[in-house]
Amino acid sequence: MIKNILRTPSFLWTAAVLLVLLLVPFFAGRFYVYILAVVFVTGLLAMSLNLLVGHGGAYQFHHCVFYGVGAYTAGLILAKTSLPAWVGLCAGPLAAALTGLVIGAFCVRLNKLYFGMLQISLGSLIWIVALRWYDLTNGDDGIHGIPMPELLSGSVNAYYFLLIVVSACLALMYLILKSPFGATLRAVRDNPQRCEAVGIDVRRHQLLAIVIGTFFAGVAGVLFVVLEGSVFPDMLFWVLSLEIFIMCLLGGWFTFFGPMLGAAIMVALRTFVGSYTDYWTLILGVVLILLIFFLPEGIMGVNFRSWQRRRERRRSADAVR
Amino acid sequence: METSHTLAALTSQLLVGLSRAMILFIVSSGLSFILGVLRVPNVAHGSLYMIGAFAAHTIATAFDGSVAAFWLAMFCAPLIVAVISLVAERLLFCHLYEREHLMLLLFTFALMLILGDLTKMTWGADYRSIVAPPFLQGSIPVLGTAFPRYNLFLLLVGPLVAVGLWLLSSKTKFGKIARAAAVDREMVGAIGINVSWVFAFAFVLGCLLAGLGGALVSPTISITLGMDHSIIIEAFLIVTIGGLGNIWGAMVGSLIFGITQSVGVMVLPQFAIVFPYLAVVIILTLKPTGLLKSVW
Amino acid sequence: MRRKRVLSVSLLLIAGFCALAVLLPAPVEARNIKVGIVDTYSGPAAVFGNDALNGFKMAVNEINKQGVLGGKIEFVTRDDKFKVDIGLNMAKELVLKEDVDLIVGTVNSGLALAVSDAVAKKEKIPFITWMGKSENITGKAGHRYVFSTTENTAMAGKAAANVLSKKPYKKIWVAGDDYEYGHALDESFSRYMKQLKPDVEFIGKTWWKVGEPDLVPYFTSIQSAKPDLIHFCTGGASMANVLKTIKTTGISQKIPVYIHTAIDYAVLKPLGTEAPEGVMGTMDYLFYYPELSTNQKFVKEYQALYKAPPGFPAFHAYTTAYLIAEAFRIAGKIDREKFIDAIEGLKVDTPVGKVEMRACDHQAVYPILFGTTKISKEFGAAIATDIITLRGAEVMPACEEIQAARK
Repeated sequence: MIKNILRTPSFLWTAAVLLVLLLVPFFAGRFYVYILAVVFVTGLLAMSLNLLVGHGGAYQFHHCVFYGVGAYTAGLILAKTSLPAWVGLCAGPLAAALTGLVIGAFCVRLNKLYFGMLQISLGSLIWIVALRWYDLTNGDDGIHGIPMPELLSGSVNAYYFLLIVVSACLALMYLILKSPFGATLRAVRDNPQRCEAVGIDVRRHQLLAIVIGTFFAGVAGVLFVVLEGSVFPDMLFWVLSLEIFIMCLLGGWFTFFGPMLGAAIMVALRTFVGSYTDYWTLILGVVLILLIFFLPEGIMGVNFRSWQRRRERRRSADAVR
Repeated sequence: METSHTLAALTSQLLVGLSRAMILFIVSSGLSFILGVLRVPNVAHGSLYMIGAFAAHTIATAFDGSVAAFWLAMFCAPLIVAVISLVAERLLFCHLYEREHLMLLLFTFALMLILGDLTKMTWGADYRSIVAPPFLQGSIPVLGTAFPRYNLFLLLVGPLVAVGLWLLSSKTKFGKIARAAAVDREMVGAIGINVSWVFAFAFVLGCLLAGLGGALVSPTISITLGMDHSIIIEAFLIVTIGGLGNIWGAMVGSLIFGITQSVGVMVLPQFAIVFPYLAVVIILTLKPTGLLKSVW
Repeated sequence: MRRKRVLSVSLLLIAGFCALAVLLPAPVEARNIKVGIVDTYSGPAAVFGNDALNGFKMAVNEINKQGVLGGKIEFVTRDDKFKVDIGLNMAKELVLKEDVDLIVGTVNSGLALAVSDAVAKKEKIPFITWMGKSENITGKAGHRYVFSTTENTAMAGKAAANVLSKKPYKKIWVAGDDYEYGHALDESFSRYMKQLKPDVEFIGKTWWKVGEPDLVPYFTSIQSAKPDLIHFCTGGASMANVLKTIKTTGISQKIPVYIHTAIDYAVLKPLGTEAPEGVMGTMDYLFYYPELSTNQKFVKEYQALYKAPPGFPAFHAYTTAYLIAEAFRIAGKIDREKFIDAIEGLKVDTPVGKVEMRACDHQAVYPILFGTTKISKEFGAAIATDIITLRGAEVMPACEEIQAARK
């Protein structure tokens, strides 16, 4: 399977982009290195959501809770205990996946909208605890100046660390989606009743997908801590969850790299448009409406469809020969 | 002496919680109604609540803050919000009814973003304040503690709205059609009723309730940007525990929310705000679809 | 289908062009002093952010007539919406992309601490907070690159404790916003009160979340406990709500109330004649007191420009602008380290006399005024009456205290 992947044109494109990204710190200013690192973190978060929504069809309405749990776990361990740094960095995604398992176990009992609303409720409880437990989490002020090991501090070091970790996570995600498990997930998304009839345990698959997706969200949270050295309760606020949705929509639900592209565009817009106008959220709302009406498959989705069609035409032409 | 003191404190907290619950009910009943008929959680509900408050301020202060201006504001602000929601619905929303629910949800989110910034553009960033008419100001002694008169007024308005809504949905033709459309929109369309207009009315009515809630709450708080974010999560939770689309469920949910928070203030002030969320989790663990029957 | 492809490709191209345009080097400009302002311009605390910006603009216009080091002072603003994460991002952007020479602003004390740590100390860039009042900013979390041109909670707490310890209050209830500033107010006041009146009892503490809309249940609960005095520790986001709820519940008629900044005009003006009377407060600046000619001139000019008298934010920002200009002039060049050396111990003229930027902790020295609110028909709003003035020397924490706290 892996040898087949290495031969495809999309892999070559990916390798080219990766090479460019490796060289960026040599010719771009510090601010752009920082912004790219932010794109990596946000992109990983969006990709982890898309695993569940685009490929799994779940109504994951409060995904950023797991991102926040990962970040706070790492942040608290690094800032308030004297445990070695790698313990904190590894504990983050594990805590996020555990939270995902617990909340997911509640939610998979229900369908669609109920799933989503229940997740918002349970997630909001975690948010409110993070916000109000001042002695533990510093509440609204957040935790700042989280100490990082020498290897990871400094904008260039952090950039490379993030690039490596995010690339590894994306590779993992790709393999998962290409595997039989991924195929089952897509089948469950498209027609859960038929899957049940064939003997697939739909609930267990959904739960497993949730654990995987929330694990990656936790990784994104930990990477945020590495990059910024801070955590905030707003990382668990429902508005962020919906913003990640927009990124997936913008980039393309059913494609692999779509959410990453969506995240890149959102971060770029937010940073550069946000510095010129106070009404950045208005522009975001308008862009979202335009997307919903005219481009619901996202930017990559459109190209993906036409590429698929061309591939089909080529295949049928080959078959005839 | 001690028990009567605590009893007095408890009673005043209960009454305060009840009056807060009335505002929550008015707002979340609108959300529940929209959810029931259109099957979409209206994320923009909070923004309409906020616009209701700002509009009420503009009208109430327009005529030098007279008593008549206040009642005019209470009457007109919800209507302004209803008009805004009608425009949004007819112009954009109605074209999306055939799409999947996720798209509708994201549309309401976009609406929230846009309305939030439009509010900032129209009314500026400063906070505003309006005052209740003199006979609703001050407080009256209730069992030894002072209870604000305006909160007493809210305790009367809430049940009135509830009864009005119940009459509308069960006794009027529109109400019955709306409930039918919630359950099976194709059937309703098949018997010749214009489902799109049913949805429009339901959406506008729900948003009018949000505006009414905003107008009514405005004398008790400072009217600022950011009101939309705080109310919407509470309304969402109330609707979830009450049963999606169930108006009485919204009442039950609001009561639970309001009372747990205000009694929580007495018991454990630091974590008072967590009590409603805890109650939500407990209820949803036992009855994941909500306490009362969902409309669909 | 083709239309959609065209649309998506054009979106990609636009994004690409934006990226290119931004990566290309900017043209070199004449060298002005660039000040980056991160403050709150939306939400309830916007009233402070705008007041400060107005004061700063007025000072900069006056300063630029003469110029500083052959150039002018220019500034850019960013809205932090009273949120720490947004503000921190803005501060980073100002330093990394806009290349500002120093950062000022931050009404939110939590944000001030975050910027002080994550941006000022890390990037070695001077940061002056003109409104974040937590004593920790120049106290235990202070360092070479952070300055404060606002009065802080230690000064206010000491002044208030000086006055209130002489009154017969024994049981005190504390209630406020659950963030850095709220807790700092409580710690400072409680500490000094216990020093001056050891038999005082703090019978309860209530903390609500920042910007909590419905405070009535908290107030009724506090009233039931029947304290002698209530100390409200509230700031930018909830001050308006607190004052309003005090009025609607009438709590200050039954129980004495003390709130720092409650007598400030920027706080009281929006409430107009509906502000509560009899609330005790402290502040370092009032536009109507003391009646010095320099103050009256300042107020008149400000009023001509902005149609309303200035509050303390305008006064602080005005003072900050003059401190910046004078420090750069003494430094002789636009160099961050020389600027810091120049500003330490610097004294400038302000509308209410000379103000010193104390060298040992980078804290500006102000007097504190203690007063009680009363509606004034002349101003159509509440003002302070029965004003007691405490000199800077009386209220500043000793340098030794600061050094000990920073260890």
